[in-house]
Amino acid sequence: MRDDKALHAYLDGELDAAASLELERAMAENPALRASYERMRELSAAVREKADYHPAPVRFEVSARRPRTWMLAPAFAMVLLAGIGLGVFLAQPRDDEALGADVVASHVRATLAGRLVDVPSSDQHTVKPWLSARLPFSPPVADLSQEGYALTGARLDYVAGQSVAVLVYKRREHVIDVFVSPAAREAAPSASARDGFNVARFARGGMRYWIVSDLNRNELDDFAKLLAR
Amino acid sequence: MLPHVDAAYNLARWLTRNDHDAEDVLQDAMLRAYRFFGGLRGEARPWLLAIVRNACWTWLQANRPAELAAVDDEPEADTPGPEALLARELDRRAVNQAIAALPVPFREALVLRELEDLSYKEIARIAGVPIGTVMSRLARARRLLMEALRPAASAPRLRVHK
Repeated sequence: MRDDKALHAYLDGELDAAASLELERAMAENPALRASYERMRELSAAVREKADYHPAPVRFEVSARRPRTWMLAPAFAMVLLAGIGLGVFLAQPRDDEALGADVVASHVRATLAGRLVDVPSSDQHTVKPWLSARLPFSPPVADLSQEGYALTGARLDYVAGQSVAVLVYKRREHVIDVFVSPAAREAAPSASARDGFNVARFARGGMRYWIVSDLNRNELDDFAKLLAR
Repeated sequence: MLPHVDAAYNLARWLTRNDHDAEDVLQDAMLRAYRFFGGLRGEARPWLLAIVRNACWTWLQANRPAELAAVDDEPEADTPGPEALLARELDRRAVNQAIAALPVPFREALVLRELEDLSYKEIARIAGVPIGTVMSRLARARRLLMEALRPAASAPRLRVHK
């Protein structure tokens, strides 16, 4: 048994010099041990040559190729932080523009793929801890079932360079995505439309909310008001 | 970190055994990796693989708990098959199937060792187990593969417990 482990360690180049010598001597005297080792080595070679190696799909590779500078992590992080800081002061409208496009894209992707939620639950006490465990913040999860908006679950997404919680509600057959991420300041509710979807947004209580749905404007605004109360 | 995305995906793909779930798990792991980027110490590949490995186990616990049922890490008694294994004549499909059929802890050790060429120490850190456990798991993985790939593997074989 000890020999068996030693054979594997020897094969993997993990046996120290003294033990290697000892094992080589043992194999020279014991053809069965030698044969056992040869089989193991052959198996290892077969796995290396014949097992599939699965490279990442293109969508992961794209982000991998862009910044080789990830290797310069600290410098990059500082530039990034400076960029975010500048962005907050200088580029609020453009920032919102990009975020608006991203949240609508995420909504469309989720709907097309039929993958609306990572955690299916109508219970806010299930959804909230699930999200808190996976995000650096804890988004409020409101129960609006009394008002006719049923919580169906939540998912995680990555939009405009940050991780966000997406709460998924349903009104009749309309899916309503609520994107929640931390925000430095409050913002009054505002409404817009993009690609045929109605979008509402506001920020309060340290969180920014973007709401996307194909629900009609009036009901979506009602929903936003309920959420903001 | 990101240059190791292929290694990350390969591990996720072997642990979940299908593309769809591997992509989901990798997505989740990448979010974590971004979030904990400040915590990066030492080499990037083992660090990223540890995050991916944990994301896989979390996913398996939630979706396929049966696969994580406790396995015995202690190697069984040595029962060398008399016939020589003609590994080089095996076809890819047989090798892939045999690896996919391994219990998760053994599969994980094997993939990290043979496909990523990581050291016992690195595998121990990624899997969060002692080096001795890595050694036994690797030994078990190879023994199970050897049994599955025996020339007569198609014939049903009784497992003798001693």
